[in-house]
This record gives sequence, structure tokens and C-alpha cells, in this order.
Amino acid sequence: MRRIVPLVTSVVFAGALALSLQARAASSKPILIGLDTPIQLQVGKDTVAAVKMAVDEINAKGGVLGRKLAYVAADEGTDPQLGVSAINKLTSDDHANVLIGGYDSGVTLAEEPHIAQSKTIWIGVGSASPNITALVGKDYDKYKYIFRVNPLNSALQAAQIVNFANHVVKGQLGRDKVAILGESAIWVRGLVPVLVKGLEANGIKVVYQQLFDETMNDFTPLFARVKDSGAQYLLTILSHANSDVFVKQLYEARLPMPYGGIDVKSMTPNFCSRVNGAAVGETTVNFITRAPITPKTIPFWDSFVKINGRAPVYTAPGAYNSVYLYAWAVKKAGTTDADKVIKELEKADYLGVSGKIKFNKVHDDIDGTGYQNLLFVQWQKDCTRAVVWPQSVATGKVVLPPWVSK
Amino acid sequence: MLTVLIYGAVTSAILAMLAVGFTLIFGVARILNLAHGAFYALGAYCAYSLTAIFKLPLIVAALVSVALVALFGVAMERVLVRPLRQSSLAVLMITLMVALTMEQALFVVFGSQSKNVPAFINHPVNLYGVSLDGQRLLALAIAVCLIGALWLFIQRTRLGSAILAISQDPEAAQYMGIPANRIFSLVMGLSAALAGAAGVIAGPFLSVRPTMDQTAMITAFSVVIVGGLGSIPGSILAALVIGYSQTFVAFYLNPEWTGTVSLVAILLTLVLRPSGLMGRAVGA
Amino acid sequence: MRTRDWLGAAVLVGLFVVLPPLLHNQYFTGVFIVCAIDAIWAASWNFFSGLTGRENFGQALFIGGGAYTAAFLNGSFGLNPWWSIPGGIAVAVVLGLVVGFPTLRLKGPYFALATLASAAIMQQVAINLWQYTGGSEGIYGLDSLIDSSLGYYYFVLAVMVATVVVLSLIAHSRWGTILRAIKGDETACQAAGINVTVYKIASLALSAAFAGLGGVLFAHYQQAVTPNDFDVFLSISVIIMAYVGGIGSIWGAACGGILLNLMLELLRGMGEYRLWVYYLILMVVLFFMRSGVVAPLWRRLSGDRSA
Repeated sequence: MRRIVPLVTSVVFAGALALSLQARAASSKPILIGLDTPIQLQVGKDTVAAVKMAVDEINAKGGVLGRKLAYVAADEGTDPQLGVSAINKLTSDDHANVLIGGYDSGVTLAEEPHIAQSKTIWIGVGSASPNITALVGKDYDKYKYIFRVNPLNSALQAAQIVNFANHVVKGQLGRDKVAILGESAIWVRGLVPVLVKGLEANGIKVVYQQLFDETMNDFTPLFARVKDSGAQYLLTILSHANSDVFVKQLYEARLPMPYGGIDVKSMTPNFCSRVNGAAVGETTVNFITRAPITPKTIPFWDSFVKINGRAPVYTAPGAYNSVYLYAWAVKKAGTTDADKVIKELEKADYLGVSGKIKFNKVHDDIDGTGYQNLLFVQWQKDCTRAVVWPQSVATGKVVLPPWVSK
Repeated sequence: MLTVLIYGAVTSAILAMLAVGFTLIFGVARILNLAHGAFYALGAYCAYSLTAIFKLPLIVAALVSVALVALFGVAMERVLVRPLRQSSLAVLMITLMVALTMEQALFVVFGSQSKNVPAFINHPVNLYGVSLDGQRLLALAIAVCLIGALWLFIQRTRLGSAILAISQDPEAAQYMGIPANRIFSLVMGLSAALAGAAGVIAGPFLSVRPTMDQTAMITAFSVVIVGGLGSIPGSILAALVIGYSQTFVAFYLNPEWTGTVSLVAILLTLVLRPSGLMGRAVGA
Repeated sequence: MRTRDWLGAAVLVGLFVVLPPLLHNQYFTGVFIVCAIDAIWAASWNFFSGLTGRENFGQALFIGGGAYTAAFLNGSFGLNPWWSIPGGIAVAVVLGLVVGFPTLRLKGPYFALATLASAAIMQQVAINLWQYTGGSEGIYGLDSLIDSSLGYYYFVLAVMVATVVVLSLIAHSRWGTILRAIKGDETACQAAGINVTVYKIASLALSAAFAGLGGVLFAHYQQAVTPNDFDVFLSISVIIMAYVGGIGSIWGAACGGILLNLMLELLRGMGEYRLWVYYLILMVVLFFMRSGVVAPLWRRLSGDRSA
């Protein structure tokens, strides 16, 4: 009897200690964010930089549910095989609680079954194909982990371009004949018919349309045809294509019309200076610019520039928003358990740095007043930028390229 | 019509500049230099660095770039290729590794975004009523001059004869006292210089990215296969054929197919006449 | 093969059987699956190109052919994924014959360029016929052959071992000797009455068959196919693997495939320098070890006097 009591007490004490240590370990274990992104490309580097910024900010304020945030990046390149192995590494080896990233739609689509299998939430910040979120609708239980915060899917983008064409190209510039040039990627092929239909419904005639291979680096024949078609405005749809060369050659050819549209490389703040000012006059879709879209925009922009010495590309605001959005959802759910966090994300109406973030039924970000919208930003004199559309956030009026007379 | 004529000439000129160096080193040293595209890229990036970072005037930067690329080519031949010459596969592989390593180095040092190589002539030039970018016309002129100079050098000088001798029969040439190894280095240097010059002169209007070596390689391949491996006149002829075909397709047919023109040309050549337009017979 | 060779092989295979469940990590299992598939591709390449000396720069044509067949049969037509295997092999063999007939009469670099062009053309076709092939996004949503990751790994491992065994047996048989003779002096073989063309084409077809099989296994692992599966980079990677393994050695090539993929994954810690370091290592290796690494090293270590 005399030996049993101390024995039992020691055991109970040891057990309690072990349990408390276990609990402490669990609570101090960081919440890990896995980044699947092409780390050699600028979009990848800025995804990582933006996440780092958000993580540092949140940690400085005490973290989430008493835990710090941490992140780890895995290169997905533009190769599906690399992407799939990146997903596996982040989920099975690093045991990330959430995945943020994406850029090339082909890679994302290949990754999705593997993401679904790992039952980890994935928040997209760079790939635009509608097929990515369509899977959520087709098999909710399997793919409910997929969310897209940025960019707007290509169908929504088409609709917003129609809007721009109607109000700015036709309305402000008085031009109703357009030509469309785009790269032959699948997402463009899906976007163009929607675009054409919308334009024609608004009384804008599409007199020439042509897609080209993304490796093309000689556009002069295309510009000749655009000129001959009688078009008055050139709509562009470029993402992987050689935008630098496109713009330089357009300037060389002095194409006699204003132009603009989607040009992902032109979103980069140093694009215009990179091409020696040849881009002056180009209007490009942007997801963020240094303008007060929301009260958080300019603080985010300035902070990013201060820390990284360069302005952010389009994946950065999405990545930054995703971290904050996830942190908010985890706080509301009280846990990092995926199913519970998903429930919160589905109800989100969260103010980010480029607009409010809200998801539709297939977890795709929506547009609309107050939400995330395409900003039509034009390169103007001396490579300054002005938001020319939508009216509510415009900082300047659209101008003609310097060599085009009215 | 005139636009197509002049434009086609410019396109062909760039193709020729890339192909001639590639076919030259094969004809003389039987080396399929898979690093040829890397020389092109290096030329463009050198021109960029020297002007943007070291602020040298363009003409100086251009000449220095070409010299640097030539030196790089010679160094590669001397250090990496020469020890492996007995095995053509080994040479193939090592030049391939040089190309891949160079591409990665460019990614790491310069980043993935396009760079701006300044142009000698920044404005359009009017030629017979056709307005064409000045730099492109300059590229045409320089290509003609350089290839012409190379041709004269090979046909008219003693060193050129030595090169011809080596390419026809390396052993016999060596018995005659011609230093094969030094000739190989010289030819590699010339080949690299030509590719580097192409990078410097075409960089302003074509894309300058770390992956630019890949498009250059595919281009060089197609021209050289069609023209005949080892034949400089063949390469020039093939460059004209492919260049004009591409221009024709782009201007009059569907621009989406310009990329496939070179592939179709390769296919036709290999099926109909594998030795190319002016190459030596290659059937087994 | 000598006893110690069998022993070495057994140890190696045993290691690969035991390692993944020990590591208990889906990521590593996935890496090993790709390693095994790379091994199949490298072995298939070495069977033809290593033995005959004709460098095939378009192995990706057969790989992609097998992969896209799987995508069409399972993804587009909804057939049971197991049909992909015979389907993929058949398509790859057909491609081998179609490409082999016109190109095998070409000497040296021309054969290399012709095969490279064939794969590039097929890649362009896959991109251009986007209504059927999904263009650059490819076809995704393929079923997996075996749902358990570990289970699939053992299946692929078994296929890999079978591939190496079959190809090695053939390589050491009369067929292989004739191929090596063709490498040495083709005209002499013809003079000796050997139907050189039949042997060359049959070997290419066999090489294609296994490459296509690997392509099918890969498609069902990744559960997607894209034009990347025809890419020249893939063809070149396969050649590098076989080269590192030792030209002419089937099992060496397989090891090369495993090693290189493993190295590529382990170098992830180098961030954006990963590929640079990888290529630098390869360049050094290729420069100093001209006959390859694995097979020559084993021969030296195990005291092979015949080499």
C-alpha cells in the first residue's frame, strides 16, 4: 500500500505532464502555408514575397488562434509533372494546412485530383481557366477544397472587357470596329467567342480576329492584316506570349489605332520602361495598381515596394489576400480542420487589397461593384499609369497613342 | 507585295545568320553544337548588360559582346569538347549541358522577364515605299556582310583553304601539316561570333528571355536540315526558302501556322531528300 | 550474368520494395513512382540507341503517344483505365514503325534530327488539334489504375523489373549481338546476309512499346496529359539518364533514371538554383565519366575483368 500510492501518483503526474507537453507542442506548432508556384518566374517570386509579407504582419500581431503562421514554397514551374510532385511534397512531406498558388492553368488542372486527394484547401492566385473551379460543381465532395481568389476567370474577364469596349472604346473614343489578336491558349479560345458575342450585342463590329502561337516573336504580318481590316481599335489577349516584342513591334509598325486588352506582362510596373517607352498608349487589364481601390490598397502597395524594392505583379495581391482570408476563416471556425474552414470561406465577404472577396457556388471569386474587378490601366506620357476604367476608381482619361491622330 | 519581299529577306537573313555558324562547325569538325542557341542568347544578354549596367556606348558594347561570345565558344571547344571528340554522342551531350546550364544561369542572374537590347536605328526607314523598322534593315545588311565576309574568307584565304581541307578530309589535312585542333578552335570561334552577332543585332526586335536559345536552336536545326548539314550555300538557300515560306504564310494564309512551316519543311526534307538541298548523301 | 550481379540486383530491388513503406510518405512514394517510370523509359531508350549506336532524340514521341492514348481511352471515352496499357503499347509500336521506316536509313546526326523533328511535330499537332486534345491544357481527370499510392508503386516497380529483365535477356541474346554488330559495321552485317532493316525496325518498335507503356503508367499516375509529354526536353532527359547509367547497359539505364529523378527532387531545397545545380553536376559527371556512371562503376567495384 505504501508503495502503490507514490507509484500511482507518479504515473498520474507523468501522464498529466505528457499530455500538457503534447498540448503545448500542438498549440505552438505553426500553421503551415504551402506555396505551389513557379519560383523562377516573377509571378512566383511575388507570390512568395506577398505571402511572406502577410505572414510577418499577422505573426507580429500574435498569429492565428495562438499559433504562428509559417510558409514553405515548392516549385511547380510550368510543367504538370513538377506541379504534381510539388503538391505531393507540400501535403505529404511538409504537411501544409493550406495551399496557396497556381499560375499555369494546365498545371493547376493536373494538380487538382492530387490536391483533392490530400484534402487540403487550395486557394488559387494566378490561373484563370474556368475549368479549374468547374470541378467543384461537378463533384463537390471531392473538389470542395478548391477556391480561387484571383484572377477573375476568363469568362468574367470577357464580360468586363465588353463593358470597357462599350463605354471607353465606343463611348469615349468613338470607335466601333475592332480587331482581336490573342495567343492560342485554351483559355483564350474559350474567352474570344464570349467576347465577340458581347461586343456585337453592343453594336461593336469585330472585323478581324486571329490567334497565334505563344512562342511567336514576329508580329509585323499580323499588324499589317489588322491595319488592312479597317479596324479602329485593337483588342489584345496575351498572357504567356512575348508582350515585350509585341508592343515594340507594334510601335515600330506605328499601327494607326489605339489598343489594349489583356496583356499579363504589361501588368508589371517596369514593363513600359523595359520596352523603352514603346508601350505608351497601351491599355492593360490590371488587378491592382497604386490607387485607393480599397483603404488597404495603397498601404499594401507601399509596404511591398519598401520591403522588396519593386512593385508587385498580379499574383501578389491575391496571395496576400489569401493569407489574410485564410487566417480570418480559421479564426472564425476556431480550428484548421479543412471542412470547417471551408464552411467559413463559403460565407466570406472579405475586404481585400483589390476589392471585396466573395465566392460563388463553385468557389470562384465574383466581380461586381465593391468586389474584385478588372482595372483598365493605360500607359501614358513618360510611362506613368492612369486607371481609365471603371469610372468609380478612374484616375485619368484615356488618351490616344502618341502617333495616332484623331 | 513589296512588303513581303523585303520582309521575307529580313526574316531569311536572321535565319541564315543562325544557321550558317551551326552548319559550319558541323561541316568542319563534325560537331552538332547544341550550345549554338546559347551563343545567340549570350550575345543578346552581353549587349544588354554592357549597355544597361556598364553604360557602354552601343557600338562598343556590340563589338565587345561578339568578341566575348567568340571567346566563350573557343573556350568551350578547348576545355569541354576537345577531350571528348572520339565520341560524337559525348560531344552532343556536353554541348547540350552547356546550353542548359547557360539557360539556367541567365534565369538566375537576370530573372525571367524580357530584357531590352538597344537598337542602332530606332525609327522606321522608308524603302521603296515600304516602311520598315530601321533595325531590321540593318540586320539584313549586317547578315549579308558577315556571311559574305565569311564566305570570302573561306574561299579566298589560306586559312580558309585549311578549313576546307580539314572539312573534306581531316586526316589527310593533318598529314599536310594543317593543325586540325587550332582550326577547330578558330571555326568554333567564328561560329559563335556569328551567333552572338545575331543576338546583338536581332535582340532589339526579337525577344530576349533566358529561353531564347530554344527558339534559336529549333530555327537553326530546320534551316540546316533543309539546306544540308555542312553546306553554307545550302543553309543560305534554305534560309531563303523557309524565311519566305514563313512570311508568305503569315501574310497571306494563317499566321497561326508560321510555327509549323519549319517543322513541315524538316519533314518533307527528311522524307524526300534527307541530305538536304545541297548536302552530301546520307543514306546508309 | 554472374552471381554477384544477381545479388546486386536483388539487393537493389529489395531496397526499392522496402523503402517507400518505411518512409511512409506519399510524397516519396510519388517520387519513386516517377523514378520507376523514368527507369522504364531510359531502359527502353538504351535498348535501341545504346545497342545500335543510333541516337534516338525523339523518345518522347512514343512516351506521349502512350500517354495520349490513355487519355483518349480513359478520359475521353471513359473506358476502364486498364485498357490503356494494350492501347498505349499498340499506338507506340505503330508510331515506332511509322517513324522507323523512313528514318532508319539515315546516318548519324540525321537520324537524331529526324526523330527529334518527329516528336516536335507531334507536339505541335497535340497543341493545334485542341478540340480533341485539349490544346496546351491537355486532358485531365484520368482515373488512377490502382487507388492506393503504395499499391500503384509496387505495380510500376514490378513493370520496371519486368522491363529490365525482358530487355536485358533480349540484349544478351542473338538479337542483341546482331544489334551490336550493326553498330560496329552495318555493311558487313548486310554482306553477311542479315536483314539489317528488319532488326533495326523491330528493335525500334520494341523500344517504342516499352516507352509507350511507361507513358501510360505516367498518364495514370499524373492523371493528366499535356503536350509536355512530347517535349524535346523529355527526350533529352531520357538520353541523359541512359547516358549516366552507362550506354549499352539496360539495368544501368534504369538506375540512371531512378538516380536522376531522385536527385532532381532532392535538389528542391536549392530553390530557384535547383536546375542550375542539377545541370552543373550533370555536366561534370558527363565530362569525367564518359562511359557513364552506374554500370562502369559497378563493373569496377565488383571486379569485372571482362570490361
